[in-house]
Amino acid sequence: MYVTVKVDKDKCTGCKLCILTCPEANVITLNEDKKVCINSNRCKGCFLCVSVCPKKALKEGSV
Amino acid sequence: MSVRNITPVKEFEDILPKEYKDLVNKGPFNNKKSVDDLGTFKEIIEEHPHCAGCGVSLGIRLALASLPSPEDSLVVGTPGCSFFALSQSAVNYSNTAFGNQNAVATGLKRMLQIRYPDKHKDVIVMVGDGGIADIGLDLTLHSWFRKEKITTIMLDNEVYGNTGGQESGMSMKGRVLNMAPTGKKFDKIPVFDMAEVSGCVYGARVTVANPKKVGQVVRNAILIAREIGPTYVQIFTPCPTNMKFPPDQTIKIAKEAQKDQYSYKEFMTDEVAEYLKNI
Ligand SMILES: Cc1ncc(C[n+]2csc(CCOP(=O)(O)OP(=O)(O)O)c2C)c(N)n1
Ligand code: SF4
Ligand code: SF4
Ligand SMILES: [Mg+2]
Repeated sequence: MYVTVKVDKDKCTGCKLCILTCPEANVITLNEDKKVCINSNRCKGCFLCVSVCPKKALKEGSV
Repeated sequence: MSVRNITPVKEFEDILPKEYKDLVNKGPFNNKKSVDDLGTFKEIIEEHPHCAGCGVSLGIRLALASLPSPEDSLVVGTPGCSFFALSQSAVNYSNTAFGNQNAVATGLKRMLQIRYPDKHKDVIVMVGDGGIADIGLDLTLHSWFRKEKITTIMLDNEVYGNTGGQESGMSMKGRVLNMAPTGKKFDKIPVFDMAEVSGCVYGARVTVANPKKVGQVVRNAILIAREIGPTYVQIFTPCPTNMKFPPDQTIKIAKEAQKDQYSYKEFMTDEVAEYLKNI
């Protein structure tokens, strides 16, 4: 089991703050629907993105 | 580097990894990108072994996304954690003997100016606080005195992160670290102020808690170094492993520093101010 982050698409506004905060390249990307999407295989589970999301759209999770 | 250089020959097209194909098709080469575009293009860093929540790797990610011409950039490093992400990047990168980065960068810049007189080749030093403030201080200052047209970026985590937590000249006074058990005895070395009096024509002091600002000042610093003279950017990049805070606190720690030792600072000569008005 790995730690990762789950996105609540209903809450995400596509502001991209999490994308500018993740220390990993290309782990959080913006989808065509302007919602963020996490590459769980490469997420290190630091949860910095969770700490900056103003809408609380990101949650700690596991795969 | 250029798209032409990295475009695979027909025979190899199918067997190359997806990451490589993405770099050719959706990468930043010859295709101006900035921090604002992150999340929508293929970045030039691959998976790297920095600790979770590492401020240094975030600083590098932001700086590399801000290169005005990644295909014509040469990044020069030195031992330290920054080596991890930089050696995983699709940008020309050279490591140096510890502390020699600005001397090596000087040679490379001069050589490139002779070899490509009609082209801008950006030489950017990206190293840790120990690499600049301690072991490479003399060579760094001398490159500034000589007015070499290079950009120096300090990724300041206020510690020797890579070797397990010795104090650096940039550590805060009183800071207790793994290998400074009684606390550091003297103040942070004022490298930022030294840059201004030693010949840098532009300098900015920022933190990773302000990613767009990091992008803007890195980009400006590189453009100014092309035309006018040496530039310096100092980025606070907190290290959760050695500062012993949870990895989800890196931005919070950087924000707190913005009220203290890392308040935003910028300096520029009149010539630079004039130049910035026109770009
Ligand atoms: C001449 C020399 N002395 C010592 C070392 C060991 N060494 C490697 S990295 C490092 C500390 C780097 O600290 P800093 O520049 O702050 O980078 P950080 O790892 O914190 O990002 C040291 C002392 C070395 N590689 N070469
Ligand atoms: S938890 Fe950390 S590594 Fe994972 S997506 Fe969020 S910021 Fe990136
Ligand atoms: S030791 Fe610190 S600076 Fe080095 S990779 Fe880990 S968090 Fe980053
Ligand atoms: Mg350091």
